Amino acid sequence: MRGTSTLRIAWRNLWRSRRRTALALAAIGLSVMLVLAYDAILRAYGDWMLETITGPMLGHVQVHAPGWRKDRAMDRTLRDVSRTVEALRRDPHVEGASARLYAPALAALAEEGFAIVVVGVDPPAESGPQRLLAGVEAPLRHGQVFMGRALAELMHAHKGDTVALVGQGADGSLANDLFTVAAVIETPVDLVNRQGIIMDLGAAQELFSMPGEAHEIIVRARDPARLPETVAAVRGVSGLHGAEVLDWQTLAPEMLSLVQLVRVVGVFALILVFIAAAAGVANTMLMATFERTHEFGMLLALGTGPGRIVRLIVTESIVLGMLGAFLGAALGIGLVALTHQSGIDFAALTGRGPSAVSFAGLRFSLRFHPSLALVDVAQVAGAAIVTSIIASIWPAVRAARLQPAQALRE
Amino acid sequence: MTTLFALARCAALLSALLVLRPAAVMPQKPPDVDALLGRVDDLYRSKSSIARIEILVSNPRTTRSMRLRAWTRGEEEVLVVIEAPPREQGTATLRVGQNLWNYLPRIARTIRVPPSAMLGSWMGTDFTNDDLVKESSLRRDFASRIARRSDAPPGWWIAMDVKPGVVGRWARIELLVSDEMLPVEERHYDRKGRLARTMRFDEVRTLGGRRVPAHLVLTPADVEGQRTEMRYLELQFDVRMPDDTFSLSRLEQKR
Amino acid sequence: MAWVSAKYAVRSVGRNARRTALAILGIGIGCALALFMESINRGRDELFARMGAYSGAGHVRVVPGNWNERRDPRLRLADWRHDLAAARALPGIAAVTVRARAQVLLAMGTHVVPVEMVGVDPENEPRTFRFVQRVQRGRYLRPGEPAAVVVGKAIAERLNADLDDEILASAMGRGGSIESAMLRIVGIVTTGSDDVDAGICQTNLEEVERLSDLAGAGEVTVILRDWRQTDAARAALASQVARGDEVLTWGEISPEFKGHIEQDKATSRFISGVILLIVLLGVASAQLAAVLERRREFAVLSAVGMSARRMVRLVLLEAMTLGFAGAVVGLALGLPVVWRVATVGLDFRKYMGSGYAFQGVIIDPVFYGDFGLWIVPYVLAVAFGATIIASLYPAWFAARTDPAVALRVAQ
Repeated sequence: MRGTSTLRIAWRNLWRSRRRTALALAAIGLSVMLVLAYDAILRAYGDWMLETITGPMLGHVQVHAPGWRKDRAMDRTLRDVSRTVEALRRDPHVEGASARLYAPALAALAEEGFAIVVVGVDPPAESGPQRLLAGVEAPLRHGQVFMGRALAELMHAHKGDTVALVGQGADGSLANDLFTVAAVIETPVDLVNRQGIIMDLGAAQELFSMPGEAHEIIVRARDPARLPETVAAVRGVSGLHGAEVLDWQTLAPEMLSLVQLVRVVGVFALILVFIAAAAGVANTMLMATFERTHEFGMLLALGTGPGRIVRLIVTESIVLGMLGAFLGAALGIGLVALTHQSGIDFAALTGRGPSAVSFAGLRFSLRFHPSLALVDVAQVAGAAIVTSIIASIWPAVRAARLQPAQALRE
Repeated sequence: MTTLFALARCAALLSALLVLRPAAVMPQKPPDVDALLGRVDDLYRSKSSIARIEILVSNPRTTRSMRLRAWTRGEEEVLVVIEAPPREQGTATLRVGQNLWNYLPRIARTIRVPPSAMLGSWMGTDFTNDDLVKESSLRRDFASRIARRSDAPPGWWIAMDVKPGVVGRWARIELLVSDEMLPVEERHYDRKGRLARTMRFDEVRTLGGRRVPAHLVLTPADVEGQRTEMRYLELQFDVRMPDDTFSLSRLEQKR
Repeated sequence: MAWVSAKYAVRSVGRNARRTALAILGIGIGCALALFMESINRGRDELFARMGAYSGAGHVRVVPGNWNERRDPRLRLADWRHDLAAARALPGIAAVTVRARAQVLLAMGTHVVPVEMVGVDPENEPRTFRFVQRVQRGRYLRPGEPAAVVVGKAIAERLNADLDDEILASAMGRGGSIESAMLRIVGIVTTGSDDVDAGICQTNLEEVERLSDLAGAGEVTVILRDWRQTDAARAALASQVARGDEVLTWGEISPEFKGHIEQDKATSRFISGVILLIVLLGVASAQLAAVLERRREFAVLSAVGMSARRMVRLVLLEAMTLGFAGAVVGLALGLPVVWRVATVGLDFRKYMGSGYAFQGVIIDPVFYGDFGLWIVPYVLAVAFGATIIASLYPAWFAARTDPAVALRVAQ
């Protein structure tokens, strides 16, 4: 009986002084929204960075013949790759898989030879967003190749030129043929741009006398967070016994460090942001509650027990806190949902900085998609509620302890 | 790339093995090392030559064989044309000085090998720059002495330690010379004294009027199962050849 | 009359000590946070600039005219001695050094490694290239020492060579001839990153001149005392160098690295913005709460005849006073923290290993905050800015108070 009436009185109190309530709600709500927005961006940043790192070249898991990574010998190959790739694609842990071939060679338009690397890929598999051939519209037909932009500039090559490729086949034989440049492309991978000629995998296998073979299979995990399970699943696929299966963190520890650093700094900043928000909410609640000392005095004078007053205030704070947090969360989620699909262009947001940035051989485009996890929302909302409650306790207790006459005077 | 390299390599080996003079049967007393090395050194020099060679490159995973014809003049000019396997027949490599070109009949193109690739290919896996450029001289660069007598095969082991100040990879070379004054085995030790590679010479035959080991095997010491073999099928020395043999235009016509 | 407002403002601020104290504390905490964030940001800018510069790029560098397009290590300066003298004459320099590069093949037995060998001036090089400041095994080069080389650990491993071993170095000379030399490994450098290790191979300048058959240096690299003077230094030096040579800043030498820094800066500005926004929000809501509670007071003032404009001014003056006090509190709270971070630094190493490397630059994840004269103006700006903006609505609200409505008993 007492409980409900406290609640009802609390509720009525809130709506009696609309402005004050509105203000408190605004303070809590906006703080929650801002923190959530920042959190969403932070999370997106992390996801995006991971995607940019693993998307084009690295993948989540890579498969090689043992020893290939050390000496890159042409004849250390994986056999029967199309069957293996099919099997991989059927695995529930795997979102996508494709095979690649790498062959050092000489390329020449006229007489001058240039040292390059032929990369044989499966174009449809490598053409999604954030992938190697992202944004490349030209199809790759028989007898055609793509050339990295920096290489094309060095060789003075253009679309439509005929280029001779000379290299060594997997069996040691001389591989040579003529190809047409279908397009000069810009990929996210610096090495490919500077030295790469991209060819269809089948054509490359034919050129280098390695039918059905490849040097590398890259696998994209369905859930990038569950790397060990994915690696185990890949190892278990038939045809890969004895092959070397590694995750991207082992292959590129410097990338891992980068991701970790970004995360650590992000969390650090989040804490700062959070403290700022908490301070704001606390300040508001303190101020608001202190201002009501006169009112409490009145209640005391009328005979309300001090305990009741404290309870009343705490209830009000809880309600305020929950309402405010709810509002803030709704706003925050709404904002995130709005931008999630289209993504935010980072450069536009901050007003400066490049729109694409190159790092460790990769090109990062600065557009990413905020996202939130339920646990984030729960944490922030909970913290806001707790903060507002705690912030109102001191003034409430103080007011309840006062002599009514004193309180009335304030 | 390694195939081009292989072509360059065999050209190197050619100049290395030209003019191996036949020798009279050796007496049992230790020979004069200086004179002996002088002859071995000079065995690697010649005015010109034409040869037909078979090359076998093996590693644990594959084995590849090629047959080719090679022309050399002095130490600067080499032309190599592949005769077999059929898929590569007609592929030619021309070296003049430090320039290297490849002619590829299948696509009818001549391509110049860029310096960066050339340096790598010459000093790649099995054969070294020394072999190709032939700037080192056993007599000049090494302090040598007869180490011991060998009974099977009969001959003398010569120990050669590099003189201070000499630029080269080998701190020490051990050369087994048969009683016929022909090399049988050559061991190269790197600058830390570790055995780096071994060259064996056998199948001594008369080619081009001289007694030469027609078969060479080069084995690197610390790589499993890897080996390069060269076998002379025909060899002629100091042959007259047209002046424009070592030119690009001829390169494209060679078959 | 303005004086009256001021007096009233000060007195009303003093009247409700608790409210005032709360407000000031709120502003103070906000300012301290913003200050902390800004100090870290500036510190990080400086960190990146330093890392980049000391990883070989320098702050400014004199290069041959066409080097920027071709990036060919074989290019040489038109008159390197003249350029070196010009660089040494620049004001505000911390170190100057020369370098010449060549593509070289190192060989030990049958092991072969292609590297870009850098011919250096051993006296000045460690001052501009941090990785050779500490040679883990052996020692660094001595000036004029012939036939000596310092390599990164990854190179030594690939060659299967060790300290004091002699290795063969060969390079393509100018006419296409091959120049070779025996070099003794006098020092092995371990940077912690295989990539960076594999790029370290240094000998005396004369050695590279011999091997590459190209005389002179290919670059003159300058480290400035104040990295912010980079553009000014470039302009000053560009007018002094020999014809055919040009001067680049580190941002132009490593545009990828510069891009990374710009992006980082953008990120941290965003975070600062969010924090400032939140601070603003907090101050605003607190101010508003206070004003709301003082409706009666404002009503009385209005009834007594204070004009709307004066009331606005009153509220703003109060805000400014609070702001000032808040700034003081903010400084009191923030300065010790900023000082600590500036001297001891924020060490993120335990969260992520020793360091991360990219583009041949190793970043130690220890951030030092920046500590300088900018602190006081910054805090004042934040404090005043926040309180004034935060008080605009309350001021307007106060001015609009209808005395009759406000003076009604219900509160």
